[in-house]
Amino acid sequence: MTRYFKKITRRLTALLLVLFLAGGGIVYAFVNEAISMAFEAATPYVEQGFEVREDTWSGEVEPGKPLLVRHQLFRGNEYWFWAGTSWPGATVKVDIFDSEGQSVKLEGFVKPPPKKDAEFSEGSYAGVRTLPGKTATYFVRVIVEYDHEAAAKDPKLQGFNPAVDGVGEFTGTVDWGLAYGYR
Amino acid sequence: MIKAFSCHFNRRLSLGLAVTLVSGFLLASGQEEAPAQIDLTNFPGQIVEKVVVPIPAEIFAVLDKLGEPNWGSGIALPSGDVAANDRSLLALTFGGLVAEGFIAVQAKDADKIQKIGREVLTLSNALGLTVAVRPHSLSIIEAAGDKDWSRVRDELDSTQQTVRETMEKLRDEELSNLVSLGGWLRGTNVVTIFISDSFSEDKAELLNQPGLIVHFREVLEMMEGPSGKTPAMRAISVGLARLESIIGSAEIISEEDVRQLRDITRSMLEEFYYEKNESAAGEAVN
Repeated sequence: MTRYFKKITRRLTALLLVLFLAGGGIVYAFVNEAISMAFEAATPYVEQGFEVREDTWSGEVEPGKPLLVRHQLFRGNEYWFWAGTSWPGATVKVDIFDSEGQSVKLEGFVKPPPKKDAEFSEGSYAGVRTLPGKTATYFVRVIVEYDHEAAAKDPKLQGFNPAVDGVGEFTGTVDWGLAYGYR
Repeated sequence: MIKAFSCHFNRRLSLGLAVTLVSGFLLASGQEEAPAQIDLTNFPGQIVEKVVVPIPAEIFAVLDKLGEPNWGSGIALPSGDVAANDRSLLALTFGGLVAEGFIAVQAKDADKIQKIGREVLTLSNALGLTVAVRPHSLSIIEAAGDKDWSRVRDELDSTQQTVRETMEKLRDEELSNLVSLGGWLRGTNVVTIFISDSFSEDKAELLNQPGLIVHFREVLEMMEGPSGKTPAMRAISVGLARLESIIGSAEIISEEDVRQLRDITRSMLEEFYYEKNESAAGEAVN
């Protein structure tokens, strides 16, 4: 997928969203791009036998403001959580803690926003793996970092920020999505 | 549906690319150190309200690792006389039926899965969701015919997700939550049956889910209108309170606890999924 094509796709998605809103909900056309990023991060793990859940978490958040998601895990399963943001220039991080607030992360990764001329995606995703020591509620922390002023000056991001006609313009929040899988 | 399709499409389209790229990023970016501890009592951010309820297959996967139960004996299709005019009970039954599908997948029983796939479609018709559910139902039947169990599991999860999203789009979040409750209840019931038959503390620990019980109690408490106050819903609400009293107070879930959990979940299912067994229901209540 070329950078140009991605840009067109992004605009088209925004256009579909506008049409959806204008149409009073007749067509549900909005694609949650942050969740798509999280699913992209999950894809290699499907090959390793992880079952990726369809139910996910997503929303908008102020950059730098941590999010805390509660979730029930079962001892005996292995879990990966994948977080994503589609916001150009933003970076997402994900960590996991037990009910005492102790980290139970075994490994993780962060994919930063792409370098110039990257051809895959303009977003960021991250993952964290855990093997719960007991069956209980655990806490997944997601942080999306984004420096709007720096991004506005970054030549790599020109053409993405700000978007046309106010659609996708930075208004103080960025998107995030979180998915998980088990085996 | 479009969203779900797009996600699936994206996942498949990017498979090869992502394998390469993630491997590269793992090497290139290294692992960022997480803080060893955070203060959950004074969290400096936003607590996400949404609760994602685990599907029964997540618990079944652990049970399989602890010794393979006779999954075939756990399949018990609903009696079929759901009050078709009570959408709350239909939603609970829908969730229960999807959970039944997960049990049938563990049993690798293609015939039962196909039957469940057809029942899912019938029930979606009663809920007015045929258009959204039909493709999933057909996929479940087809994947079962191919004995592609992983795909059946994916389709069952997608079916439930599609139904819940469609309900939420129709501003019917209550029904959406009841689908989850029905599935959780049926899954929990079959797990308690297997653990009762072959008890171990490791298996019983799987039932330690107080957070989910609190969530479901809140769901029922927030239900508005007459559907939340029917005798069936009141009985389910009481059942949840009883489950909470057992799970919330037990440091270790005992064999007797598991038997009680089994009987309580059974009596709750008899409010919408199975025919009432008067003697057993009486025992569970007393």
